[in-house]
Amino acid sequence: MGVLRDMLTALRGGASEVGEAIVDANAIRILEQEIRDAEAAIGSAKQSLTRMKSSEIKLKREMATLDADVADYEQKAVAALNAGEEALATEVAERIAELESDRNDKGSEQAALDAEINKIHAMIKARERTIQKNKRELDKVRTVQELQRATESVSRNFAATGSSSHRVSAALERVKAKQENWQDRMQAGEWLEGEEAGDDIDAKLRAKGIGASGSGGANDVLARLKARQAG
Amino acid sequence: MILDDLAFRLNEYSGEEGTTFDALVTERGILEVVCSNNDEFPIHLTTTETQLLSVTPLFSVAEVQPDRLDELNRTFLQLSPAVPLSSIGLQGDTYILFGSMALSTRFEVVAHELEVQAENTIDVLEAVEHLLA
Repeated sequence: MGVLRDMLTALRGGASEVGEAIVDANAIRILEQEIRDAEAAIGSAKQSLTRMKSSEIKLKREMATLDADVADYEQKAVAALNAGEEALATEVAERIAELESDRNDKGSEQAALDAEINKIHAMIKARERTIQKNKRELDKVRTVQELQRATESVSRNFAATGSSSHRVSAALERVKAKQENWQDRMQAGEWLEGEEAGDDIDAKLRAKGIGASGSGGANDVLARLKARQAG
Repeated sequence: MILDDLAFRLNEYSGEEGTTFDALVTERGILEVVCSNNDEFPIHLTTTETQLLSVTPLFSVAEVQPDRLDELNRTFLQLSPAVPLSSIGLQGDTYILFGSMALSTRFEVVAHELEVQAENTIDVLEAVEHLLA
């Protein structure tokens, strides 16, 4: 079940106002309930896994003991045969057969347990998929709800000023005017920088006694006045 | 709360292209951001469990020349792939430009996306201005 189709149906039905359910509240509750159920199921599955794991460890230990016993009795049976104790060897062989049968039972028990553990792992994965899928669905619903909330306050302003035509064009013009203004200021800034850089060069030239002699200050004035007096 | 933190940082921040931000969390828990590169169309931010949503309401259906609504919708569908960081949508009766980011998105990336969204808003509106009433 996808929520997108539900949402479209609700939106077509005119549920565009905030507060109106864009998805049947029941549908959301079901998704949330499924997430909680899946999480609970995973929790108890993990508990069973722990129990099974300890049974498996116990089984493996018992099997190892049986294997050791079998090996031990086999040696003893051979020793009995070598000693010509046929009857004793037969008795030991019977004991070995018992141990082996016991071990096989435990082996099939372990195989069954392994299969069960695999099943539980698969179940956990499936539940986790359900959780992820439902969370994604819920996120779609929340996204649309939040988009509605974020849009609503401004839409109200549209409604208030909507009757004035060319609202967008006027706003665009203002933005562009500001951008041009900003660009002009940038250019003016660049021009000023250029001027200042130019001043620097003039200053450097003057320092080296190159270019405009300019005004030499009081000394020059005095020299000029003296020259006029002399003349 | 992530939006409060975002508002604080945006107000202190200046983007690579010199864009500055005026950010304010409204009473209803929406972060309203005015970017200096487009101060006429504020961006509204809100969150879900996983995403940060940025919405710029553009205009209402009522502001479209009634006989050119189909043309507008078609134009928007054509434009949408050309503005990769923002999508165009209809929310109720309001056309919106919106973007979404993971909640874990780095602050500088969020700021840049907002800058781009503000810029895209102007581009998109210019493209459909002639269809508006």
